[in-house]
Amino acid sequence: MDWTKAKNGLTLWMVAAMVMAATGCSTAVTRMDAAEVKDLSGAWNDTDSQQVSEEMIKDVLDRPWFGEFSRSQGRPPAVIVGEVRNLSHEHINVNTFVADMERALINSGKVQFVASSTERQEVREERKDQDLNASEATRKPMGQEKGADFMLKGTINTIIDAEGKTQLRFYQVDLTLISMADNRKVWVGQKKIKKLVERSNLRF
Amino acid sequence: MWRSQAAYRVMLLLGTIALAGCATYSDSFGVIERNLSARQYDAALQDIEKQSDSKTGRTLYLLNKGMVLRMKRDFAASNQALELAKSEMEHLYAASVSENALSFIVNDATVSYAGDDYEQVLVHLYMALNYLELGQPNDARVEALQVDIKLREIGEKIPESKFTEDALSRYLTGMIYEELGEWSDAMIAYRKAYEAYKKYQVNYDMPMPDMLKLDLLRLAQRQGLKDELARYRKEFGIEPLRPGNHKPEQEGELVFVLNNGLAPIKREKVVGTWGPATSIVVDTSKSRKTEAPPPPVLYNIALPYYESRPNKVLGARISVSGKQVSTQMLEDIDAIAKVSLDSRMPAITARSIARAVAKGAIQQTVDRVGRGSDNDAAELISFFLVRVAAIATERADTRSWLTLPANVHLARLSLPPGSYTVAVDFLGKGNQVIATQEFPDVVISNKRKTYLSHHWISN
Repeated sequence: MDWTKAKNGLTLWMVAAMVMAATGCSTAVTRMDAAEVKDLSGAWNDTDSQQVSEEMIKDVLDRPWFGEFSRSQGRPPAVIVGEVRNLSHEHINVNTFVADMERALINSGKVQFVASSTERQEVREERKDQDLNASEATRKPMGQEKGADFMLKGTINTIIDAEGKTQLRFYQVDLTLISMADNRKVWVGQKKIKKLVERSNLRF
Repeated sequence: MWRSQAAYRVMLLLGTIALAGCATYSDSFGVIERNLSARQYDAALQDIEKQSDSKTGRTLYLLNKGMVLRMKRDFAASNQALELAKSEMEHLYAASVSENALSFIVNDATVSYAGDDYEQVLVHLYMALNYLELGQPNDARVEALQVDIKLREIGEKIPESKFTEDALSRYLTGMIYEELGEWSDAMIAYRKAYEAYKKYQVNYDMPMPDMLKLDLLRLAQRQGLKDELARYRKEFGIEPLRPGNHKPEQEGELVFVLNNGLAPIKREKVVGTWGPATSIVVDTSKSRKTEAPPPPVLYNIALPYYESRPNKVLGARISVSGKQVSTQMLEDIDAIAKVSLDSRMPAITARSIARAVAKGAIQQTVDRVGRGSDNDAAELISFFLVRVAAIATERADTRSWLTLPANVHLARLSLPPGSYTVAVDFLGKGNQVIATQEFPDVVISNKRKTYLSHHWISN
């Protein structure tokens, strides 16, 4: 056996191993565009959230409820965000797409939004404080809050089907706009997302 | 060449004694356990933190951290740790080629620990309990759904496994659904708990808890499932509780969870034997004629077994404003762990034997090289070293989630809304009170369940 050759080969391997080990040492950060799709674990992620909000926004502004209300009342409808219940098998942050929808609807100028119940509490406390400390001219009176005409509620559901290392994940987001005056559902939005997740059997 | 067999043996003995200092995973847990029984949770956390950079034991580090944080009643931080443990388990679903190759010549503990099946289920259970104690039933519901997925996965992977259903998780799932007003889902969960407890009776000798019987009767009645109600009545020999003068719609409920003791600990038993060198390695064509028979080979096998940890407490009695109720055992983790290891034992033993043969082959190869050197000292040293290495590396995999309780007890008590002081008597043999603890300011809300848990660890 040619020992020098073997030794060289060994050294080469050791260097390679050391280089590989060293690359794992520092944290690598790559900036990404917020619209870029990157699926890591197959769980609910930013892309899903964005897709849902885009779809819902497009749908909700195209539907007749909005025209009917502004025609009969002569003013844009006021909407409040109620609970979006997470009935899925994942800890999903629903706030991101609810905030996306809120922003798009307010910016469209067609819909007004009323602060949610937790937000209202904080505003009321501030108003109480104003009553005591703010000047007469800038003080905001109580009992002048704008009541909402519609409430936006919803659910996120999942159906999981798994076989071995393959998993089919089906997400369904349902959002409903309910008229506060008569409990009528004036709009129902739905978005379905289906993912096939294949888990690896081996790693190194 | 074999003038001093006795000398080899003596050196080997010395080597064995020197190496007895090499501790397995479970041996290193004593300090943490002492701190836990003294309720020195911060000190225990500091010790656990020392394992944070262990590459193969990261799951266990996170599980133990999560469990001690919840003993400290820091439920949010506990969930963070347990969530990380879950993703680590998910990552370890893929078997590592390099780790498994190494385990074939070193020992089973070189493979990253992903948790036994029951541990992978219980992580969801404790996260659900954390969310419930934080007053977030919707998040607890998410964990309940994940338990369902996990159990389906286990049942599919090993259909003959005895642990394909976790009764307590199913029962808790039922309670979560019931609190959220999802009656039919609650009924399904209670039914699954019922099926699971039937299996528990066979596998772990554990009776069906009475509270589940009452839940089944109540929900069957509520959902109008007449046939099912009649069947349960006949089977249990009890009647559903009449509402009577207490109005359940104006009451809340206290659910007391006693995590009792600590889960069993894995110990190691070693079987070593001298065997003659096999012919697989010895190449007869090149052997010198004058040669003595090849030196004996040491076959060493180390296997794990579970040892229960002592605990005087057998149950608890809670007293709230004149009302008293005793806890019932709903999960016997001690028994589950032992049965689980028993079912794995054939595979573990087979791997150990294969490893012993491989290590025997290595010993013979080294002996052959040593004998070629014509140097008695070198031969002696290589003979000695390779056998010591065989003993030193053959260790049983004694890793398990050691901060789990040995068993879990539950008590439920209906109470009108208000703030209460809950007194808990920890009971030993013959219902003798071993210790008493008071939990002040427990708030019961209308139509809600208030969860209160305590982890009792004997000293």
